[in-house]
Amino acid sequence: MAILEIKQVKKRFGHDVDALDDVSLSVAEGEAVAIIGSSGSGKSTLLRSVNNLERVSGGEIVIDGDVLVHTDESGNVQYPPDREIRRICTKTSMVFQHFNLFPHLSCLENVTLAPVKILKKSKEESAAKARELLEIVGLSQKADSYPDQLSGGQKQRIAIARALAMDPQIMLFDEPTSALDPEITNEVTRVIEDLVRRRMTMLIVTHDMRFARDAASRVVFMDSGRIVEQGPPKQLFEHPESERLQEFIRSYQG
Amino acid sequence: MELDYIMGIMPALIDGTKETLKIFCFTLLFALPLALPISMSAISRFWPLKALAKIYIWVFRGTPLMLQIFFFFYCLPMLTPIKLDRLSTAIFTFVLNYAAYFAEIYRGGIESIDRGQREAAKSLGFSRWQTMYLIIIPQAVRRVIPPVSNEVITLIKDTALVYVIGVPELMKAAKDANNRDVDPTAYFIAALIYLALTFILTMISRQLERRYSRHERKDAV
Ligand SMILES: Nc1ncnc2c1ncn2[C@@H]1O[C@H](COP(=O)(O)OP(=O)(O)OP(=O)(O)O)[C@@H](O)[C@H]1O
Ligand SMILES: [Mg+2]
Repeated sequence: MAILEIKQVKKRFGHDVDALDDVSLSVAEGEAVAIIGSSGSGKSTLLRSVNNLERVSGGEIVIDGDVLVHTDESGNVQYPPDREIRRICTKTSMVFQHFNLFPHLSCLENVTLAPVKILKKSKEESAAKARELLEIVGLSQKADSYPDQLSGGQKQRIAIARALAMDPQIMLFDEPTSALDPEITNEVTRVIEDLVRRRMTMLIVTHDMRFARDAASRVVFMDSGRIVEQGPPKQLFEHPESERLQEFIRSYQG
Repeated sequence: MELDYIMGIMPALIDGTKETLKIFCFTLLFALPLALPISMSAISRFWPLKALAKIYIWVFRGTPLMLQIFFFFYCLPMLTPIKLDRLSTAIFTFVLNYAAYFAEIYRGGIESIDRGQREAAKSLGFSRWQTMYLIIIPQAVRRVIPPVSNEVITLIKDTALVYVIGVPELMKAAKDANNRDVDPTAYFIAALIYLALTFILTMISRQLERRYSRHERKDAV
């Protein structure tokens, strides 16, 4: 059974920008799906639609059996009430390109805030869990630091810990290493690869082809709001079928 | 300037200062919190509320404070059964006026917070209201301290306007002494008192800024 089911999702901005044009994608538990494609192809919009940061203009998204959105026969897009949306969306956690840590809170507080306020866990339990997560991302010693005292790579690792603290079924990464200096992307990539080994279900938008090739279980190539090609990384990178993907891969080699 | 003369007018000036501080303190006490719901309304998605807040802010910032003082002094008793004494009328007007300015500052502070903060909060599952008070407002507080301090310092000086409706504050005390004795010494002393007050307020605001800027990130992404 798929844990995430995206069916014919459309997203239109304004009158003429089709950011998503009939995108369908089914993700099984434990898969790590890398989403690649040139700038403006709709990768972020797809991820943001799954996390309800964007409202879709058509189609259906089902997360772990719960319908986040569906479209009836007459084409009306239907979302459940706010409270239900929030409940469904806590099954997914997002990691952003620019981290978006809360600067007024310490790293530990960044990680514990949502579990305490939303999952209603006790402070002690959340803090203990947070310390475990900081250990996993290799930053136990930074628990009491504030985000502006950290490097970019460290911030992103805290952001991953913050996302994991909600015990999500699916992790969504939107170019997690694109805002980082090349020398330090590795420290973040290692953490994500560790999650791949732990069989965490993930959707990872990336421009890092080495990562897509080595770590992902499946690669999805998007172009102009559509999924043009998908498959195991080896197949996609070595035997690209569509011309657009061949071009795209060449642009990385060249 | 004779010392005896100064000692003679001091009690009146000190009494005036007390009235000035009363207006000042009560205005802050009510206007600072009142501005919060007004600013929230101004950014609300519920348009009637938003329109109301915008009109309120527009009217109170768009007309002279002096006019507002006269208006409430003469019109309030005529149009409504409310009967306020001079001091209360002055405070009432100042609260409404300054709440409009503070609301506009709060709104700017709230809107200056990076969009990514709301997105991160939303994606973690916080409601709009939780996002506001757990994430946006704590960050906005730091940003509004400097502009709010500026307004607070302006407020001390603005209190002088209420002499026009005869509130016996510092300005009026100085004016009365000058008119009576044809001697500007009282103005000179009043100036020193205003300076001392604004100096103290400047010090306090610096202190606050320093305390709240500790964790402000230097590199805005
Ligand atoms: N808020 C918005 N308003 C209008 N158009 C938008 C908005 N967000 C995205 N778009 C448009 O939708 C299309 C897809 O954008 P999206 O951000 O999903 O691309 P992307 O694949 O993530 O690109 P990148 O690699 O640059 O991040 C683009 O044409 C973009 O200009
Ligand atoms: Mg993007």
